[in-house]
Amino acid sequence: MHRDLLIAPMVVLFGLGSVGAAVGENPIKIGVPVGLSGANSVVAPSVVQSAELAVEEINKAGGVLGRNLALEVADDGSGAAGAQKAFDSLVFQKKVDVLISMETSAARNAGLPIVQRGKTPFIYTSFYEGRSCNPYMYVNAWVPEQQVPPIVDQFMAANNAKSFFLIGSDYAFGRGMLQFTRAYIEKKGGKVVGEEYLPMDGTDWTPIISKLRASGADALITSTAGGAPNVTLTKQLRAAGVTMPYGNLAVDEGTAKSMGGDAAGIFISASYVTSIDAPANVKFLAAMKAKFGGELKTPNDLSVPEYEAVYAYKAAVEKAGSTKVDGVIKSLADVTVDGPRGAIKMNKERHAPLTMYLGQVEADGSVKVIKAFKDVDPGDQCPNLK
Amino acid sequence: MSLLLDVVTTAGVLFAVAMGLLVVFGVLKIINFAHGALLTLGAYAALVTTKLGISAWLAWPLAFVSGGALGLVVERLIVRPLYARPLDAILATWGLGIVISQVITLCFGREVQFARSPLSGTIAILGDTYSVYRLALLGVSVALGLLFAALIEGTRLGLSARAVIMNEDLARGLGIDTQRVRLLTFMIGCGLAALAGALITPLSSVDPNMGVPWLINAFMLVMVAGASFLSLALASLILGGAQVIVSTFVSPILGGMTIVLLAAVVLRLRPAGFGRD
Amino acid sequence: MGGALVVAAGPFILDTYSVTILIRGFLYALVALTVDILWGYTGILTFGQAAYFGIGAYAAALIFTHVGFEPATILLAVGLALAIPALAGLVVGWLSFYPGSTPLYASVISLAFPIVVTQVIFSGGTFSGSSSGLVGYEVFDLSIEAWFWIVGAVLLLAAGAAYTFVKSEMALLLVAIRDNETRCAYLGIDAPRVKILLTVALAAVAGFAGFGYANFSGVVAPEIAGFVFGTVLVIYVALGGRGTLIGPLIGTVLIDAASSYLSGDLPYIWQLIVGLVFIVVIVALPKGFTPLLGRLWYAFSGQHDRQRRAAPALESQSMQPALTTATLEIVGVSKSFGSLKVLEDITLSIVDGELVSLVGPNGAGKTTLMRCISDGRERSSGTVRVNGQDIEGLPPNRVARFGLGRKFQTAGVFESLTVAECLRIAGTLRDKPSPRHPLHVLRLPEAARAVVETTGLVDSLLRQARLLSHGQKQALELAMVLALEPKIVLLDEPTAGLTSLERRQIGDILKELASRHRLAVILVEHDLDFVREISSRVVVLHQGRIVLDGAVEEVVGSKLIRDIYAGSGHG
Repeated sequence: MHRDLLIAPMVVLFGLGSVGAAVGENPIKIGVPVGLSGANSVVAPSVVQSAELAVEEINKAGGVLGRNLALEVADDGSGAAGAQKAFDSLVFQKKVDVLISMETSAARNAGLPIVQRGKTPFIYTSFYEGRSCNPYMYVNAWVPEQQVPPIVDQFMAANNAKSFFLIGSDYAFGRGMLQFTRAYIEKKGGKVVGEEYLPMDGTDWTPIISKLRASGADALITSTAGGAPNVTLTKQLRAAGVTMPYGNLAVDEGTAKSMGGDAAGIFISASYVTSIDAPANVKFLAAMKAKFGGELKTPNDLSVPEYEAVYAYKAAVEKAGSTKVDGVIKSLADVTVDGPRGAIKMNKERHAPLTMYLGQVEADGSVKVIKAFKDVDPGDQCPNLK
Repeated sequence: MSLLLDVVTTAGVLFAVAMGLLVVFGVLKIINFAHGALLTLGAYAALVTTKLGISAWLAWPLAFVSGGALGLVVERLIVRPLYARPLDAILATWGLGIVISQVITLCFGREVQFARSPLSGTIAILGDTYSVYRLALLGVSVALGLLFAALIEGTRLGLSARAVIMNEDLARGLGIDTQRVRLLTFMIGCGLAALAGALITPLSSVDPNMGVPWLINAFMLVMVAGASFLSLALASLILGGAQVIVSTFVSPILGGMTIVLLAAVVLRLRPAGFGRD
Repeated sequence: MGGALVVAAGPFILDTYSVTILIRGFLYALVALTVDILWGYTGILTFGQAAYFGIGAYAAALIFTHVGFEPATILLAVGLALAIPALAGLVVGWLSFYPGSTPLYASVISLAFPIVVTQVIFSGGTFSGSSSGLVGYEVFDLSIEAWFWIVGAVLLLAAGAAYTFVKSEMALLLVAIRDNETRCAYLGIDAPRVKILLTVALAAVAGFAGFGYANFSGVVAPEIAGFVFGTVLVIYVALGGRGTLIGPLIGTVLIDAASSYLSGDLPYIWQLIVGLVFIVVIVALPKGFTPLLGRLWYAFSGQHDRQRRAAPALESQSMQPALTTATLEIVGVSKSFGSLKVLEDITLSIVDGELVSLVGPNGAGKTTLMRCISDGRERSSGTVRVNGQDIEGLPPNRVARFGLGRKFQTAGVFESLTVAECLRIAGTLRDKPSPRHPLHVLRLPEAARAVVETTGLVDSLLRQARLLSHGQKQALELAMVLALEPKIVLLDEPTAGLTSLERRQIGDILKELASRHRLAVILVEHDLDFVREISSRVVVLHQGRIVLDGAVEEVVGSKLIRDIYAGSGHG
């Protein structure tokens, strides 16, 4: 009797699972777990748009090895618990051939064991705190070694800053970035007079801002989760009248634009800004505008690597001659993508040398580039992975 | 000094958020666990004004009215049948909160969004610069508190409400339409919750689940306060102040649970809380 | 049974994704079982079981991350995953359950607790992973199938144990506490202690489920200890059917599995539907869906079960030696409410064999005096000694242990239990209920048995107490009080609402109690004829003082009594 109660729904569930597999032709599936809800939800739409454009362009040009690409997007809730569900669903239920996505470090860390179990190639397209290594993962975005020095150097040189206050979101990224920043500041002879954190979903920065103002710091450097925390912190900083040099290690152009006047004056260090004057970027921006029109979310340092990563995957599959994971993993280190950010190859211990831009946000939300640094080395990220 | 202002403005925000819950608890003796979702509703009302490009000040009446309208429907369908089952009322209103959140998500999207503030900038006060909006919010909370105190003391509805608070059976026996009092009170409580949501959005962001942390704090404050606005103001000041102090001097994370912990302890030692019972 | 078959066959029929989903669902179902026992059976609405689950998971993850993964540390992790939640349960229980606490307060604490736990996790910075959680620690290297079998087996074992428990005598105690905690207190049962022990035990179970989760998923994040997850569990239990065990179990597994299959916008529509159904269930169908289905299967529906069962055998049993003296000494007892004096300087001594009637007009303080005798915290001044023991400051359940039984004016029985079950629980103090065996044999002392047989209750042993007539409930309560083998019995208006036949029966019983069983019987009574018939002594209270105390004829015929009752006398 209990058996009937239990087996019937089991059979239904099983049936549901198998139906999905039978329908449709045989596209190469790209899984995109991304923070559609939660902290990253402010930037996630731009990431999805990049992926969609890349897939559309590639399919128009004949696909990859004669097969079309298809996207499977899943919501990872910008966190560990959600990422588990999203990765499980993409790897085991939808059975994707590759995972290409931008995620918070919490989500990425939670997803990696599943990537390992499912033996799925994973291109991580988000900047992060560095030193995350997995036999199946490649990273085409920046790490602190590439991003932090320009800002600190700028403040120390142009603003004569000697004391710094650090604020972050309390998770791997926030802590990792600020740990590197502190070390760099102290190496350069500066002092860190405060380091404060809020949980990723925290929204009330009042006590931390009060501490900041009481500390007498010369400059502020922040590393919160991409998206909502950036906005709430900046809003509250401006509302409290904080005007000191403010370097934000994690804000992207899109979020800065949506902050309106509050973002003016923020220093950012990024591998992509929309004003990059290169033909590839101009072409890319035009294509995005054409495809999405009024719905376009400003392409930014979190979304452009996604576009390039899809092309990198295409190149790797073509070089390896198949989507089999071992060949793809090997080939990803050898292929170069000429994208909006220039020529990029993930050949430095799974990471990529990148051209970095130091910029300042203007009143209208656009970024004025102050300095550019060509092909900055990511340093020793994964010495144990060949 | 800015710490004092932090304490006072935080207390103001807490008071504004908890008022609606107190009103409902005092008269209907139930905890409206949809309070957080109503807060969210009001916040999205503010978002609507931003998206439509109309004045951000309109968010306030828009929020209050939406909350009240929803309260009308909810009282009839959910609260009334559960009049005698307070624990079940908590659960049912929590379910309602889930429903409201999902509807909001389906209508507005699940991502975090931002509403514009009607006031911005800082003002020099007490030898310090401080956020204008936070100060304005404090003013609004105090004004709301006084308004409702006046309502309670000076109007027929207020008188009926007080009678119902003290002894509902007797009030009914004396000819007061307790059904109507409960309905109106519930509507006002929901309206207040939504208004509070519109008030707090400029300080942070808007997303479908933003109401939950506020619900918990408001709930604990109401438990400690009992049934009077004055004791709620007191509770907001004391517990809110403790939260600010712990956040500033110990850690913002531990500060987040100060209200909950203190309230639980106070209730254990003195079940009537700060109220006079 | 069928469940074992499903668990065994599962990995062969289902694909990897489904198996993964189900393993998680099984772990949640284990916690849902604990919620059902607390809420469905004992009436404690708790949002906090998630917190114990989270603590167990974090204990494991922290040990494996920071200490290591060897047999020694694994044992340590298991130990901590059981011990720390149990300790937390002790604290939470102590905070929530104390004489005079309300169910609302207990729920408030159960809400605050997961919040505190999540904040503590956040405050742990890199040690506890804060928002990121902990990931990548070493775990048992088992195949998915092995996990499915192990977790499935554990769930079945737990369900089996839970099932045995809820059919046992101990579960009756939980229902009794839920139905009428006051009555339990006056039967000598320390209800708060029972609830605390239950909380501790179930916290450990939830912690163990958390340990399993940490190992299986390889990731722990603060959300698993949070209050939202706690409420989700309550929802699963409500939808499955609170108080049925199998309902929450199946409900949790199915609903959780269903949510995992939905992508795109569907999860929000699904949540919306779940939320709506939940509201409907709470408002209109408090017992959830399973009982509707369960009506087809008698095995799950308790009521039907009882009807088919044979009535428990009735046996006599006496724990106490037959004759000891009983003494009740009341010295200078006063009770005031603020400036209102209800009792003033009451001094009275009663011994075994006496049948004392306490009379007086309304408001004289009779019931208040009863309260002051049975509850050591009531009186404002004076001393009360029950069988030689000073009851100073003691709650009713401690006073009851000195050999005092109290019968209330409105019959306090356990509405959801049968007559036999009520009697069994009444005897808890003498004979602890078994956590394993259901009620087979009902052992009652002579006096209680006599009441049951004389009043005809013996023919209604399987009847639910709520279905009894008023007179039968009174008789049942009396039998319950006597099941404790008290030496002193307090009765508050025992004849209220009885037919004349029932009144005579009660009168005979009371007389027997005093004369044959040598109890000290004290009753508050308005029916003066009844008083005259059965009492050996009458005490008259008027405006809080004793005005007359003597043999029946002396008092009943006196002028003072007539004056008092006519309203003309003033103390």
